[in-house]
Formats: sequence, C-alpha cells, structure tokens
Amino acid sequence: MSTITFEDVGRSFDSVAALKNVNLHVRDKEFVVIVGPSGCGKTTCLRMAAGLDFPSSGVVRVGNREVVAPGPDRAVVFQQFALFPWKSVYDNVDFGLRNKGVPTAERADRIAAVLKVMSLEGYERSFPHQLSGGMQQRVAIARAYVLDPAVLLMDEPFGALDAQTRVLMQEELVRLARVNPRTVLFITHGVEEAVYLADRVAVMTSRPGCIKEIIDVRSIREAERWNSLPRIEDVMDLESFVHLRTTIWKSLREEKTEEQH
Amino acid sequence: MRARPAAGPSNVEILVLGVAGLAVFFGLWAALSGFGLVPPRFLPSPAAVAQRMFFLLDHPFASATLPLHVLSSLGRYALGFLLAAAIGVPLGLFMGWYGLLDDIVSPVFNALRFIAPIAWVPFAALWFGTGIGGPIMVIFTGAFPPCLINAYRGARFVDVKFLEAAQTLGASNLRIILEVLLPASIPSIVSGLRVGAGLGWQSLVGAELIVAASGVGYMMVQGQSAVSTPTVLSGMIAIGMVGYCVDLVLREVEALTRRRRGVV
Amino acid sequence: MRRGRRRILVGCCTALAILALWTIATVFTSLISAGRFPSPPQVWGAARQIATDGYADGTLLQHALRSLRLVIMGFLFAVAIGAPLGILMGASRRFEAFITPVFSIIRPIPPLAWIPLAILWLGLGDAAKIMVIFFAAFVPSVINSHSGVRAIEAHLLEASQVLGARGFTHVREVLVPGAMPMIFTGLRLSLQASWTTLVAAELVGALAGLGRVLNVAQQDIYPAMILVAMAAVAVLGWGTTRLLDMIESRAMRWLPVKP
Repeated sequence: MSTITFEDVGRSFDSVAALKNVNLHVRDKEFVVIVGPSGCGKTTCLRMAAGLDFPSSGVVRVGNREVVAPGPDRAVVFQQFALFPWKSVYDNVDFGLRNKGVPTAERADRIAAVLKVMSLEGYERSFPHQLSGGMQQRVAIARAYVLDPAVLLMDEPFGALDAQTRVLMQEELVRLARVNPRTVLFITHGVEEAVYLADRVAVMTSRPGCIKEIIDVRSIREAERWNSLPRIEDVMDLESFVHLRTTIWKSLREEKTEEQH
Repeated sequence: MRARPAAGPSNVEILVLGVAGLAVFFGLWAALSGFGLVPPRFLPSPAAVAQRMFFLLDHPFASATLPLHVLSSLGRYALGFLLAAAIGVPLGLFMGWYGLLDDIVSPVFNALRFIAPIAWVPFAALWFGTGIGGPIMVIFTGAFPPCLINAYRGARFVDVKFLEAAQTLGASNLRIILEVLLPASIPSIVSGLRVGAGLGWQSLVGAELIVAASGVGYMMVQGQSAVSTPTVLSGMIAIGMVGYCVDLVLREVEALTRRRRGVV
Repeated sequence: MRRGRRRILVGCCTALAILALWTIATVFTSLISAGRFPSPPQVWGAARQIATDGYADGTLLQHALRSLRLVIMGFLFAVAIGAPLGILMGASRRFEAFITPVFSIIRPIPPLAWIPLAILWLGLGDAAKIMVIFFAAFVPSVINSHSGVRAIEAHLLEASQVLGARGFTHVREVLVPGAMPMIFTGLRLSLQASWTTLVAAELVGALAGLGRVLNVAQQDIYPAMILVAMAAVAVLGWGTTRLLDMIESRAMRWLPVKP
C-alpha cells in the first residue's frame, strides 16, 4: 500500500514558518493535486515526501514508514526536467534502473517499452539539448515511470512548457494514469490543470501554508463521464468542470487577497 | 527543531575537522623532523622555522632584514602592477570600442601572450642588469594580460542597449568610453586586476630568484646557496602571507563593487 | 564577413610592418644595438645554429623534448592527484572542512617560490623540476575541480539522489561529467603554470632544457638565441594547449555550445 500522509507537518526556515499544521492523506493509487498561491509551500510539501527536505515538526510518511531519504520508490519529476545533459535519452532513463540493480536484458526491455509509451522512439541516442522542452519533460517522466515507482511526485512538471505542449502533456498524463494507476502527488498553480488531472484537489493557504480544503473531483468526473470526451477542450466546456474550477478559483482568490493585506 | 537525518556538517563539525586537518599537517611535520626521520637540512622543525623567521625580523641576511626585503619586493611589485593596470585597462577599453585598434593590437598580443613572463627574464637581465627595471618588466609581463583582456571583454560585451541609448542621446566617442563602457566594465576590470595582481606577484618572485640584489626572492636564493632551509621556508611563508593579503584586499574591492551594483 | 577579412588583412599588415621596423632598426640603422636586441638575420642564424649544431650541450629538438617531457610528467602527476582531490572536496563538505585550512596555507605560496626548496631537497636534476611543476599545477586543478562540482545545479544532484545513485556511481556519473567544463579550465591553467614553472626552474639551474638555453644565452650575451628559445617555449606552450583543447572537445560532445 503506497499512501502519503502528512501528519501535523510544520516547516520553518530561520524562524519564518513556511508550513503549519499540514494534514493530508493521499490514498493508495490516488491522484492528488495541491494548488495554492506562489510561495505557499506546496513544493516544500512535495520535497518532504521525496525525502529532499525534512519537517521541523510533525511526520511525513509514505506507506507506513517515515520518510528519511530520497529514493527510487518515490520518483520525482522536477519542473526544470533535471535531465543529465551529458547522458543520452537512453542513458538518462537507464540510470535509475542500473542503480536498482535491474539485470541488463530486463532494463533494455523496460526502457524500450516506456519510450514507446512516451512517444520517444528513435531518440534514444539524442542528448537533452537537442530536444524540445516538451520532449525533455517526456524523458523526465519516462525516467520516473520506468522505475515502476509506488509513488510519483510531480513538481509543476508542465510549468516550463508552452501552452499547447502543456495541454498535450496533460492529456497524455491522464491517459497514462488510467492505464497504469499509481499514487501521485502533483503540484501546480494552474486551477484548470488541477481539476482536469486530479481525483482530489487540495487547496493550500498562503504562507504559513496549510490545507484549506479538499475537493473531491473524482466522483463528479465519473458521474459526468468526462472520460468519454478525449479532448481537454471538450471537458473544460462542461458545466461540472466550470463549476469545480470556479469553486477552487474563489478559494484561491481569498488567499491572494489575504496575502496582500 | 527536529533532528534531520544525514544533513550537512554543522559549523562546530567544520571547525573541528579544520583543526584536525591542521593538526595532522603540523603534527606530521613536527614528527618527521623531531624524530630525526628526515635530516634537519631537508626539513627543519616548525619551531626552527619560526625561530628563524623571528630572527630575520631584525637581523639582516643577504644584506637586509626580512621586513626590508619584503618592502623592496613590494615596491617593485607595486610599480610593475600599476604600470600594467595603467596601460592595460585603458588600452583594453579602447580596443573594445575601436575595432581597428583591436585588429592591430590583438594579433601581436596573442602572439606574445603564450610566452611565460619568466621567459622575459633573460632579456630583463640583459637590459637592466640587477637594477629595478628588470623585475618591473617581468611583473608587467605577468600582470598585463589579465588587465587588458578583462577590460577588453568588459567593453566588448557591454549590453548593446546601453550603447544605443548613449548614441541616440548624442554622446561623443570619448564620452561613451568614459561614461558608458568604463562603468559597465568595472566588474570585469576589477576581476582582471585581481588576477593580474596574483600573476604579477608570482612573476615577481620568479624574477627575484634570478635577477635581483634584494627582495624576498633574492633572500631565498641566498638562503638556498647557504643551505639554510629555515631561511628558505621563512621566505616562502612571507611571500605567501603578502600575496594572500593583497588578494584579500582586492577580493573585498571586488565584493564591494558587486554589492554597489546589486549584482550577484 | 567583412570584419573577419579586415582583421586578417590588418594582422598581416601589422606583422609586416613590425618586421620591417625591426629590420630597419637593427640592420640598417643602429637604433637598437646588437647587444640589446637581435636583428632578424641574427635570429635566423641562431635558430639554424641550435637546430643543427646545437647550443648549450644539445640541439633544439633535444632541449625541447627534455622540457616537454618534464612538463608532461609534472602536469599529469599534479592533475592525477589534484583533480580527484578537488572533486572529493566538492562532494563531501566534511572532507572539504578537513582539507581547506591546510590547502589555504599552501595555496598562496607562488609556485616559483618552491624552486629554492626543491633545489635544496632534490638538487638540479629532473626530480626537482617535477616537484616544482607539481606544486604549480596542483593548485589550479584542485580549485577548479572543487568549484566545478559546487557549480552543478542543485536539481541535478537531487535527481541523482532520487534515482538511487550510491556514492561511487554518483561521483563517476554525475559529479565528474557535471564538473567537466570547470575541470578542463583547471587543466588549462595547470598546463600554463607547468610551462611557466619549468622555464623558471630551468633558468635557475638546469643541465638541459629550453630554460637552460635561455640561461646560457643570457650569460653569453647572445640575444638572438634568447629569442629563439623564447619562441620555442611559446610554440610548445601553444601546441600543448591546443592538444588539451582537442581532448576537451571530444570529452564534452554533449555540450550545446562550444566551450
């Protein structure tokens, strides 16, 4: 069972509280998106689940074990892709597998499979700088996916992409999630992205951040049969979508005006 | 604050490790010399070196005390470095602006650049004997390239926007150079001065080993001829300390210029 | 490119002009006396002499090879120890804390200042030269390798952690390639320092090598030969640097921009 649990988590930097009393439980194979204003600490939450940062108070657990270090069981997709520029696409994807000790033949198969799924066939020998932003992010996702991680942590992965590419990637991610579901924690400040991708959306307050409210999207999505519409524009036209989006938007708006005072 | 697993070392740990490193270094040194594992001719004990240094502070060796030698070296160094900066920086700026000047000077400069400053010593000896001109020339050769190159680069790679703004505001060439290129290039120039100062100091040492009748380098060579290792080591320490102080001053100047501009 | 062509043209004109002025000043007038600076024919004569008959107990080739050999040995020795040391210092803050104070003592001592000590310890032979070159080339390699590792972007280091890279794999496949550009900068500086130090060491005292040629020529008051030796040093310095550049290009094919 791969759940993510934030129990009363707080994080301070030099006596400035970035996070306070964060409580969130991500169920097994659930896709949860955290939205919030910039600087509210949502990235910090993700980093703590990854083991790249540690809470000042409270506990972060994955499965039932406290997170103490980063590892391939909680694969991270970074906003800046973080592909090794000196390694080819193939070697980048291969890296995590080798560290896990996966035997050679199996590695080749798994890499080939994941590259096919991410439409990267033919680019095995290319270097990151030769690829477009969208393709680089696909490599980053492939690199995480190939490890078959229990938990996938995505930090505004489409933030650096142009609008059209972003939409395509969102559709692709939804496709992947339906076919091969796993526990996902996704960070964004785009409300539409959140509603489109998530099973549940957690709205975070501005600093010091905590979870303000959690909105269930999945039940509405399944009731309204969003899956029957392949294109994101069609889904975004639905009344149920618009309603959810506006609810979350308003919630965030309150936070923004809070901030400005 | 919760304890963080496997984080970086604390400040205390850093201090302790640093002290440990120094302890190992000096301990090894003292042990090698103290237990007679290495003859004193090769490696005098740290105490012997310290003793010699203090001795040289007011007893002359090779015709002057240590402080006098240092002053002598510093004097030449200052002259050589200032000459290099006074010629290199303006020349670099003008080369950055006037393409023709650049085309004329650059090939000559690039041809001469690969000649190690020290290789000029024989000519310096031939032309100046053991006079002050020799070391100054060698220092100049060492300090000049970075001063020139950095001023040149600073001027060449000034953001075009500034130049266009100045030109549309009707500035003359000289004004552009003085009021746009120069201020914009200051970080690069200061960086170049710092590197030049370092190279100049090194060249000085080399020159003094061969063509001087005073100065710390000269003192060291005489110490070597007299097989007085403590003297040689004292000289090395003195040279290191002065070089470090000069670099420290320039490093502060560099940081100051960066701060004033709000640039990281 | 008009600018490029003009540059070459101006360069050639300048070279010719300098050559002309030089010849006039030395051969046709006595603006510069023969004892101060040689004339072009004198330089040519000296070059021929050392290339065929030899000077200071050896031909140009022999001296050059001798110097080259020492530089390469000292350089490789220094880099083989210095670069890994710098990388380790970049990788481990603890190791860095341990080494830094001692290194800060060694670092300000100009490489040439090691020469008298080297002579005291090892005499005038090859070993002393290699020792001095070692200390000269060692410092830039350490500093630049260290900086290179520290300059690697944080998210690349984090990615490596997340992907489960253990110590040695992390160093070999992430730190070293990531720091390569600066490691090579350090190598270039080390090579430069190696040449400078060797020439200086040979000037102070040597039995063979280009520095010795310089020394003997100076004592013989033979400026033409001094110039020939200086040119030889410059050519070898330039050549070894080009070789290093070529190695760098091949090692870093993954870079989008030429280093």
